[in-house]
Amino acid sequence: MSLAHRNDADRRRQEAKRARGRTFVAITFVPVVLALALVATLFADVITDTVSWQIVEPAYTTESWSFTEGFAFFSTWENVVEKELVARGEDPAVVLDDPEERRKFRLRNRVELLWQLDGAPLRYVVTSSRDDTVADYGFFEGLRQLDAIRAEAGEGQEVRLNPWLDAAFLTKNASRTPVMAGLGNALIGTLWVIGLVIVFSLPIGVGAAIYLEEYAPDNAVTRFIELNIRNLAGVPSVVYGILGLYAFVRVFEFGPTVLSAALTLSLLILPVVIIAAREAIKAVPPSLRQASYGLGATKWQTVSQVVLPNAITGITTGMILAVARAIGETAPLLLVGAAAFIPRAPEGPLSTYTVVPIQIYSWVAENDVEFAHVASAGILVLLAVLLVLYGAAFYLRRRFERSW
Amino acid sequence: MSQTVPEDHVTVRSDPVDANDAVVAIEDLSLWYGDFQALRDVSLTVPKNQVTALIGASGCGKSTLLRSVNRMNDLVPGVTVQGKIHYEGADLYDPVVDPVEVRRRIGMVFQKPNPFPKSVYENVAFGPRLHGFKGDMDAHVETSLKRAALWEEVQDKLQQSGLGLSGGQQQRLCIARAMATEPDVILMDEPTSALDPIATDRIEELIHEIKQDFTVIIVTHNMQQAGRVSDRTAFMHLGVLIEEGPTERIFTNPQHEMTERYISGRFG
Ligand SMILES: Nc1ncnc2c1ncn2[C@@H]1O[C@H](COP(=O)(O)OP(=O)(O)OP(=O)(O)O)[C@@H](O)[C@H]1O
Ligand SMILES: [Mg+2]
Repeated sequence: MSLAHRNDADRRRQEAKRARGRTFVAITFVPVVLALALVATLFADVITDTVSWQIVEPAYTTESWSFTEGFAFFSTWENVVEKELVARGEDPAVVLDDPEERRKFRLRNRVELLWQLDGAPLRYVVTSSRDDTVADYGFFEGLRQLDAIRAEAGEGQEVRLNPWLDAAFLTKNASRTPVMAGLGNALIGTLWVIGLVIVFSLPIGVGAAIYLEEYAPDNAVTRFIELNIRNLAGVPSVVYGILGLYAFVRVFEFGPTVLSAALTLSLLILPVVIIAAREAIKAVPPSLRQASYGLGATKWQTVSQVVLPNAITGITTGMILAVARAIGETAPLLLVGAAAFIPRAPEGPLSTYTVVPIQIYSWVAENDVEFAHVASAGILVLLAVLLVLYGAAFYLRRRFERSW
Repeated sequence: MSQTVPEDHVTVRSDPVDANDAVVAIEDLSLWYGDFQALRDVSLTVPKNQVTALIGASGCGKSTLLRSVNRMNDLVPGVTVQGKIHYEGADLYDPVVDPVEVRRRIGMVFQKPNPFPKSVYENVAFGPRLHGFKGDMDAHVETSLKRAALWEEVQDKLQQSGLGLSGGQQQRLCIARAMATEPDVILMDEPTSALDPIATDRIEELIHEIKQDFTVIIVTHNMQQAGRVSDRTAFMHLGVLIEEGPTERIFTNPQHEMTERYISGRFG
């Protein structure tokens, strides 16, 4: 009797415990769902923002060519431009055969593959910086009122579904005309800056991590340094911008160049790189070091031949995450002089430059709905790059965990 | 087992090793981890081409003594050592002696197999490469693997990861790796405690074979193993070497009462 009673009480207590567990799960679940919903909304918004319906009044012709008409291996551009020039009533040879004329034409006109309403969906058009956008409608708004928009388009105007993010967007350069604007120079700038950031921060970060983890004496000075590295990782990035402006731009007189930006961002991510590299070095099993020492390896031989090769995945993961952070940084680069518009791509460490987030920032700041679409397209590219990097880091980390 | 050892205990020695046969001679060795004294005036002579077993209850300092012989204890912060270990006419703890060179000449095999996450071949070649081996590496790797009785099993997977082998094979790989640097002495700290009985058998056979070329000091918790593989046995308790002598004598006719109790399983 007493036993049965105790079992009943037990069961009730168990039941209560389980109920509490469920409540707890529910409480933690809500914010997760909310956060996911928010991220999804953000993505959906950015993506739909990269497509818009436009009524355009072309400066020259309203001609367009289907994909099969326009496409030609390696010479699609020439092919479409030739058709366009004929349609404009000009002599194609004048433009196509003279390099200088070609360059000028390129600056004012783009061959684009656009969604057209009539005929085949994908059509080549030549857009010109003189084309006039009469009206611009968001994707869903346009879908709802398509008939009204069509009716609104007057003589010599046409309705286009403009996908702002297309292949050409990645090569087009900054422009005052939204349709002409692209990420070209900014991407090259980002490549230069990040390339140099890796060159600077990888050896210094890994070197510092090796020193702190393997060689530094365990004393007050070392602990002070460690504490500061951890604190530096939390300093707002704009502070690094001020430091970079003072040190690299002014004192070392590197000016507003790729080099100044790379040095500033290297300082910014160094604490993170050092911390990640130390964790990776720490994670190498002591038994492997023992094996190496036991075979008569010196400290340096052990570090370079056993510890580092086994920490390399962890170091790489940390480096990727740090680089992802550097790619998205805007504030410090505004301070050390990234330009919003630069006429040509950087050619070396001492070139002026712009980077992707700065370019996006300058588009967002434009007072023009069309630039909002351009900015969205830029954001999407940036997010895609970051997603790839985070994916790579995730993959490496998984593999790293599996190896022991 | 918490029985104390009198301060003035004198190690009981039967049939002491002739100084001419000695490879390693430990003399009055004391060792402290910080304030804690882990070894108390240990003296032990290790004869050439024989297997010496260290036995004793957990925590009595067997590993500590073993690791003193190739100066692995130097890697532990806060260790102080007093006394001498004679090896090839020098004292291993003489300041002029390079511990790195000591470890090349006195190799070590650990309790848990710890091959590098590299290929079987690279595991064996690791030591020779460190020390600038000039000869035919392929042949050297093969010889080392044959001496470790592993060649037959791995000759087709030399380029595969050492971690892909079974536990017993990994341990033999570690033995091959240790032998590849051509040491005089091989220290083994409970080399079979992580292995199944069959793998253990193979390692024990192997120890029997390699003592023609090497001097072996082995720590073991397994009385039968000590009986099977060793020529001499040293019994330790609380950092003190209680008794040492020929294995047969220690096991059949221990002189000290503590040894007797440990052997007969009445303690520890
Ligand atoms: N790194 C260390 N720091 C401090 N004390 C240690 C350290 N290593 C060992 N000791 C202590 O020294 C004593 C001897 O340890 P040791 O590892 O040599 O024992 P053992 O005989 O090998 O034991 P087991 O059979 O369990 O391996 C133990 O009391 C242990 O706690
Ligand atoms: Mg031990």
